[in-house]
Formats: sequence, structure tokens, C-alpha cells
Amino acid sequence: MAKRLGPDVPDSFAAYRATRRAGTLTLEVFGMPTALRERPKPFLLPEFCKGCGRCIDTCAKHCIEPGDEIDPRTGLIPVTLNLEACNGCGLCFDACPEPYGLRPQPESEFELQDPEKLFGARAAAVRPRPVPIPPQAVPLPPVAPLVLKGNYASAIGALLAGCRHVFGYPITPSTEGAELMAKLLPKLDGVFLQAVSEVATVNMMYGCGGAGLPCMTFTSSPGFSLMLEGISYMVGAEVPGVFVNVMRGGPGLGNIGPEQADVKLACRGLGHGNTHAIVLAPSTPQEMLDLTRLAFELSFRYRNPVVIAADGYLGQMTGKVVLPDTMVQPGLPDWAVFGDVAHRGNLINSIFLDEKDLEAHNVHLNEKYRRMEAEQRADLFACGDASTLVVAFGTPARMAKGAVEELRREGMRVGLFRPLTLWPFPIAALKSFLPNVKRILVVEASNGQLEDELRLALSKAGVAPPPIESVRHFGGVLPQLAEIATAVRAHSEVAA
Amino acid sequence: MSVFYEKFERHSGGAGLKGHATHYCPGCGHGLVHKYLAEAIEELGIQDRTVAISPVGCSVFLYYYFDVGNSQAAHGRAPAVALGHKYANPDAIVISYQGDGDLASIGLAEIVSAAQLGTPITVIFVNNAIYGMTGGQMAPTTLIGQKSTTSPEGRTAMMGQPMKMAELIAGLDGPVYVERVALFDAKQRMRAKKAVLKAVKLQAENRGLAFVEVLAECPTHLGMTPEETERWVKEKMLPVFPLGVKKDAVPEPWFHLEKPHFDAESLLAAIGASAESVPRFAAGFPTHLGGTDIALKLAGAGGDGAQTAAMLLTRAAIHEGYDATHIPSYGPESRGGTSYADVHVSADEVLSPASPHPRILVAFNAPSLAKFAPDVPPGGTILYDSSVVKDPPPFPAGVGAFGVPFTEIAVDLGKAMVKNIVALGALQAATKLFPEETFRTAFRLALKDKCAMIPLNEEAFSWGMRAVPPPAS
Ligand SMILES: Cc1ncc(C[n+]2csc(CCOP(=O)(O)OP(=O)(O)O)c2C)c(N)n1
Ligand code: SF4
Ligand code: SF4
Ligand code: SF4
Repeated sequence: MAKRLGPDVPDSFAAYRATRRAGTLTLEVFGMPTALRERPKPFLLPEFCKGCGRCIDTCAKHCIEPGDEIDPRTGLIPVTLNLEACNGCGLCFDACPEPYGLRPQPESEFELQDPEKLFGARAAAVRPRPVPIPPQAVPLPPVAPLVLKGNYASAIGALLAGCRHVFGYPITPSTEGAELMAKLLPKLDGVFLQAVSEVATVNMMYGCGGAGLPCMTFTSSPGFSLMLEGISYMVGAEVPGVFVNVMRGGPGLGNIGPEQADVKLACRGLGHGNTHAIVLAPSTPQEMLDLTRLAFELSFRYRNPVVIAADGYLGQMTGKVVLPDTMVQPGLPDWAVFGDVAHRGNLINSIFLDEKDLEAHNVHLNEKYRRMEAEQRADLFACGDASTLVVAFGTPARMAKGAVEELRREGMRVGLFRPLTLWPFPIAALKSFLPNVKRILVVEASNGQLEDELRLALSKAGVAPPPIESVRHFGGVLPQLAEIATAVRAHSEVAA
Repeated sequence: MSVFYEKFERHSGGAGLKGHATHYCPGCGHGLVHKYLAEAIEELGIQDRTVAISPVGCSVFLYYYFDVGNSQAAHGRAPAVALGHKYANPDAIVISYQGDGDLASIGLAEIVSAAQLGTPITVIFVNNAIYGMTGGQMAPTTLIGQKSTTSPEGRTAMMGQPMKMAELIAGLDGPVYVERVALFDAKQRMRAKKAVLKAVKLQAENRGLAFVEVLAECPTHLGMTPEETERWVKEKMLPVFPLGVKKDAVPEPWFHLEKPHFDAESLLAAIGASAESVPRFAAGFPTHLGGTDIALKLAGAGGDGAQTAAMLLTRAAIHEGYDATHIPSYGPESRGGTSYADVHVSADEVLSPASPHPRILVAFNAPSLAKFAPDVPPGGTILYDSSVVKDPPPFPAGVGAFGVPFTEIAVDLGKAMVKNIVALGALQAATKLFPEETFRTAFRLALKDKCAMIPLNEEAFSWGMRAVPPPAS
């Protein structure tokens, strides 16, 4: 049903109707009779006029005048149109900042009704919803094991996961990842782009991940710090992307030696806001490959960034790497802003102006984090009957494994608990054999960041831990096998 | 105007008038620029493949209005986000829309680098000489003398001169088209419309990055009526920010990216994986060196080839079916300083990859020898370059030490570079780590793309072996 304008609204509509009836005029152009439609005259629904007056001076025919009545619907004073002198020059359309302000008259007759209907139903409104295209597994023929540096193994893991877009800024000891990608991606018609900084890097990932494609970067601690704002945006806007942080010594410029002091950042400090991301902790070149592949899968499963917390040693370490028997051809998620007709209706965004909306979004994210907590993974080495438990990840975990093996040969009941996910901390696996454990020794290259994760997980699980001791090194020095073994022996004496 | 949503659902749920009205203040320049952009997209018929990047600033809600793919970026980072979208889908038409605080302050690095990169994206830069969204603080484009809440007495030279972005961007090689336009009268608006259209068209034609700076009105924070603000832009801004085309170097279409491919063969070829397995020569693990895990250290200066030798050792071990690891470590200056390599060879899994007590030490210079020789346990072996170490330190008891002139032999062979292969030959002779053929196979494989180098390396290895006196049994 037609709706009437309020009685206090200047009836620009009447003017509109009058000019519409002016009809068409016929001209002779080069002797050919041509029917030309008259140039459209302006049309304005007063409630969409903000009364800015920018149109007034534009009209040489003085058709537009400042209004003098407040429109109660807007509290603004719309202009009035008197189009008798109007020649349809159109200049006023271009002077009006409002999309539904001054506009050419619609081409067909219409009833004044819902502005939506008035401005015409469009294909957009009936566009089909985009259909998610799932990733596909492509079989890989068997090949001989490769001999790879950790950083290279991670890069190849990414390629196998279907990643063809890598953005990065060089930083030791992660750079080989970017270098290998720069060499290989052109052969696969992929893209490696060296950004102006880590800040630009993470935002390129926001764009590429937002377009629905798997993308990644290699960085190290100072670079990771710079990426945190962008990671918060990615978490907020639910954009996937993989960050391989080959941690180095800090704080500040520190050095290029291995450290594990970004655990706090990755697990508790991913930029501002209520953020979380799965943090994977490889300890061999083989795991650099395997966990990087997994990272992409998790990143898309949860629409969330995933962090790989490697250390400088691991990035540089060369070892044997066996390839999996499949690789991935990525699909395209339905939520992507890809830049095509199917995905035109999508939005990648982390701003929610209304407090209730933002709270609801946070609730949604928290619910997702809760589901992500099911992704706990750990490697248990000789844990079953262990009374002393060494907890370590990354390269220190390898040293610890050597120590545990040595101590087992001496007949000591010692095991190694190695989280493969630092967040979520694999508390479920730990709880299963913790009752036997008399002491825990946390071995790490940080001032207790892993231990904090352990303690927090225990506390949240309501488990009173046995005494926790530590072997810690910093600044590029890693705990060594002999030192770990000595510490365990000392503990065990106390425990006996 | 179908490029604008039929109803602005994202604007407070499209309720009431908000469904068809912008959030901009009356007379705000942003609205006009939106309109010209929408018209350009419509005229070029690219709505379906357009992705608009909303910045931080008053135009943060651009995505309320444009019925295109939308992505909202962090403050200043729109060009980086735009590039991410463009490289993800080169067929997308990506519009990076920014205010002056966003582009000319916090996002300078992103815009300058994106502009120099020149990848076809369209940058619409709305310069209103003020921070709108945060309430009228000084912008990088604020005029000298102009008052703002953070330049309450007017901007002075002490606060820096206004940034002339169009000129700065036009000075770069990357962009193909840079123009500054304004909105204060019908003629300027016509030009602005044309410039925006051209900037989008250049992208659609794959010709390059185009940058349009629009001098726009922020009546609210200038504390003037829209009409007065138009005049202010004309009278005050124009002298500082002259209008016109700053660069127009439209090249032939050049931007083209193939779609990434995902076939197994090309991936395996790219990473050098092959189905062929390397022949094995060893009958069993070299347990004569004490156990099932052998720690080695190769130490020298950058350029000695310690890392390459370590890598060959590691490959050789893995070819034999063992596990092996190699960790390099460099001195502070990374290239040219110290260069140490820790290697482990293990019957099954290397547990601890560092070599604080190497069973075998190869030292390429005196400092390395002095530093690591004391760590070698009894039963261990030390090999050092006697061409440079003239006066070796005393060695730990029970350690076999061999001085071999790595460098002299290599120089005699015509290439000092192969001294590391001489060292490996000596290591082989002194320790019988692997069958000789294991090493030879490893470096033949490593040199398969530089076959001409193989004979020299073969010889270096043989000379290294011969230089070690046979064990006095
Ligand atoms: C990292 C960060 N720093 C500061 C801000 C606050 N902020 C929001 S908008 C803005 C200035 C925007 O000004 P401009 O780009 O000129 O756009 P306008 O609002 O004038 O259109 C600032 C400083 C922010 N959102 N993020
Ligand atoms: S179309 Fe031209 S003449 Fe008619 S009202 Fe608009 S500016 Fe005036
Ligand atoms: S330009 Fe548009 S919004 Fe401003 S007064 Fe004219 S019709 Fe109203
Ligand atoms: S504050 Fe200024 S820039 Fe922002 S909407 Fe209002 S007039 Fe426009």
C-alpha cells in the first residue's frame, strides 16, 4: 500500500510527478528522427536530505532552496525543490553526498511506497548463497626422504597444505622459510611478496586469508611482536593464516640465538582483546613439516590464525624428513571475500559498534576457543610409570629426551611430557598419569613461560601439582642434556 | 545507483531512515566520494568482482553502503589488505579507501610501498585536513595555522609541514596515475568523478596502481557550515595542495598472474624430491665409534665450508638409513665470522642434536681448535688444518689428533674452496665413519647440477684420505 509522507513534509513528490509528465521530445539529428528521453530531473525524499545545502549553489536555475521546516523524522531541515525552471542538467545529483538523497527520477511510474521497493528490487537481493568448496586431497607418489632444515621443512609443509601465498619480512633465524618460498612459489604460480614490514605482512595475510586462501608468514620474535595488532584483527574478523615464529633471544633486539620466550605472547598475548589461537610446538624438522600442514587445516577449521612456536635451533636444524602421501588442493570457503559474484555479499570485519553485538561476538569467539581446546596434542615418552616428569617443548625437548633415555638406562623412572600444542595445553593427557608423578621438572629457554602455561592448566583442571622445579636458560643458550640429567638426578634424590 | 545496497542493513540493522541514509555528517565530503566511486563501479560493470577496503576513520563504515565484497582494515593498513586481496584473486577489483590520518600518518609505510610496488589497485585518498573520527585532532595534512584539538593555537612549523601525498606518490616509479581533485564546486566535482572513474578503470585494465587524492570537507571539525567549508577548501587548502594530474604514465596492460597449480609432479619437482632412493653401502652402524649416536663438530670461520661439509655428512648418514641432524651456528656478524656446525648421526633417532662433547672434531683454524679440543672425550678424534694451525695446543688424553694441511692440498688442487672436502676425506680415513663410497655418492648428488665440479671434489676427498697416516695397529 502506498504510504503518505507526513503532512509537514514539503511535497517534493508532487513536483516530481509534474515533471515526469513532461514526457519525451523528438529531435531531428542529422535528418534522422530520434526519440530522446528528456534528461531526468532531480527527485528527493526529504527524509533522506540532511539539509547540508551543497546542492543549492550548484543549481544555476535556482531550483533548490534552503528549507525552513524541520523534518521531525530526522531533526534536519531538508531543502525544497521547485523544478519549473529545471533543465535537467544533473549537476545537483553530483553535489549531494547522500546515496538516497538527490537522484534522477526513477524511469518508471511508481507508487510512493517502501523506499526499498521504490528503488527497485535487484538481482543482489536474490543472489544465491555461496556454496563452500571443500579442499581436496591430491595423492603424492612415494619419494625418498628429504634432508631439510627446519625452516625449509615448514615451508614445504605449507606447500603441501595448499598454501601458495606467502608474505614476509626477513628476520634471522626464520628467513630461509621466506627464501625458499621466494624460489619455489613462482614455479607453482604462487605468490611470495616481501612486505615493507611485519605490520604490512600481517595485513596482507588479513587480505589474502579474508579472500579465503591459505597464506602464511615466517617470522621471529621482534617481527612477531609487530604482527600482534594484525593478529588481533584476524582473530576478531575470523581470518585464517599461519604464523611460523622461529623464536630468538630477547627482549628487544636480543640476539639470533634460540629462545622460547614468546610463549606468553602466543598463548596469552595475541594483541588486544579476547584472543586465542592454537599454538603448535614442533621439535624436529619432520614435525616442522607435519605441524605446518596441520596448522593450515586447523586454521581453516576454526577460521582463526594458528601460530607455530619454533625456536632458532629448530629453524636452522637439518634433519631427515619423510613426505606424507597426500597434498592438499585448497577449496574456497563460503564466507570468503574473494571478489566474485558468489561472494559479493560477504564482509570481513571486526568492528561491532553496538556493545550487545560485540559482546555476542565475543561469546561466539569464546565458544569457538572452547571447541579449539579439544585440539590438545602431546607426545609422551616413557611417561607411563614415571615418578619424575620432564616437561619441555621444541629443541630443549630433544635435549630432554636424550637425558631421559640416559636416565632410564640408569634405571630411573623418568619420563618426558612434550606438549605439541602449547595452547590449548594438553592437560587431558597429562592428567592421565599425573598421580604417579612425584616431581615435575620444566625445561625451557625462557623465564618460566611454559611453566606458567602448565601451572595455569593444572589449576584450571583443579589438579594440585607435585613440586615443580625448573631448568631455564635465556638469551640463545639452550638447556643441555647433561644439565637436565643432573637436575633430574638431584630431584630424584630429594623425592626418594 | 545499484552499487549502493538497496537497504543499508549493516547501518543499525537498516532500521528506519538508517536503511537509506549514511552515518556521515551533513555536507561531509566522504559521501560525495562514495557516490563517485559507486558510479564508477557501475559504469565499468565490475560490481561483482569489486572488493572495497574500509579504513579506520570516519569512512570505517564504507561497507555499510557498497554492495560489493567488503573487508575492513586496521588503521593505516588498507593498502596492505588490498594487496592481500589482489594477489589472492587478481581478477578482483580492489579499492583501498583511506582518510588522511589513515594514509598519510599511521599508514605511510603501507601506502608508499604499495604505490612503489605498483600492483593494480585503486587508492582513494580523502584529505580533509583533520582527524574526523576521533574528534578533530591534527592530521598530517592540517594546514599551518589551522586549529585542531591537538594544535589548539593552530599548527606551527614546530609540528611539521602538511604532507603533500599526491606529489609524494607521484614521485614514485610504481603508480601509473596520480591526481588531486576537489569537491567544492560543480566543475571540481566533475573532475573528481572523472578521476575516480579513471583510477578504477586503470585497474580493471590491468595497467597499474592509481591514486586519487580528494580534498574533502569536514564541516563538523572545521566548525563551519558546509558551504563555508567548501570555500575554506578552495581558499585555504588549494594553495597548499594544488589540484591537477601529478602523474599520468599509463602503460600497456602488464599485470597478469597465472592461477596457482596443485599437481603433485610439479610440486615434487620444485622441492627436488625424487622416487629414486640413494644406494646404501654400509653394512651396519659405525658402532666402533662408541655407541649408536655419534656427535661431531666442524668449526672454522665463514667461508671455510664447515656448514657444507656438515650438510654432506648429514645427507650421507640419512642416505644410509640413519637419522642425522645438523645445526649451524654463526658468530655475531653471521657471514665471515665464526661458523660452527654440530652434527649427530644416530642409529635410530637423534635425541639431542647439540654436540657439546663431540666424538669427532674438525677444526679449520687455531681458535676453533683451541676452543673445542678440550671438549673431545677420550676415544675421540680431532682433525685440524695444519696449514694454518702451526702450533697445536696439547690434546686431551686418549684423543687421536691428526694435523692435515686441508688448505695446502686444496690450493695445490687449484681451488682453496674444496678444503672442506679434503677435511671430509681425512675424517673418513681417520674414523671410518661410513664406507668411502657413501661420501662420494653424497657429494656427487649434491653436485648433480654442477657436474663439472665432481672430479675436483673426488680428488680433494682422495687426497684428504691419503693425508691421514694409516692407524698404527
Ligand atoms: C592503531 C590505532 N591508533 C589510533 C586509532 C584511533 N583513530 C581512529 S580514526 C583516527 C584518525 C582518522 O582520521 P582520518 O584518517 O583523517 O579519517 P577521517 O576520520 O578524517 O575520515 C584515529 C587516530 C585507531 N583506531 N587505531
Ligand atoms: S538538474 Fe540542474 S537545473 Fe535541475 S535542479 Fe538540478 S542543478 Fe538545477
Ligand atoms: S545536497 Fe543532498 S543532502 Fe545536502 S541539502 Fe541538498 S539534497 Fe539535501
Ligand atoms: S566528522 Fe568530518 S569527516 Fe567525519 S563524518 Fe563528520 S564531516 Fe565527515
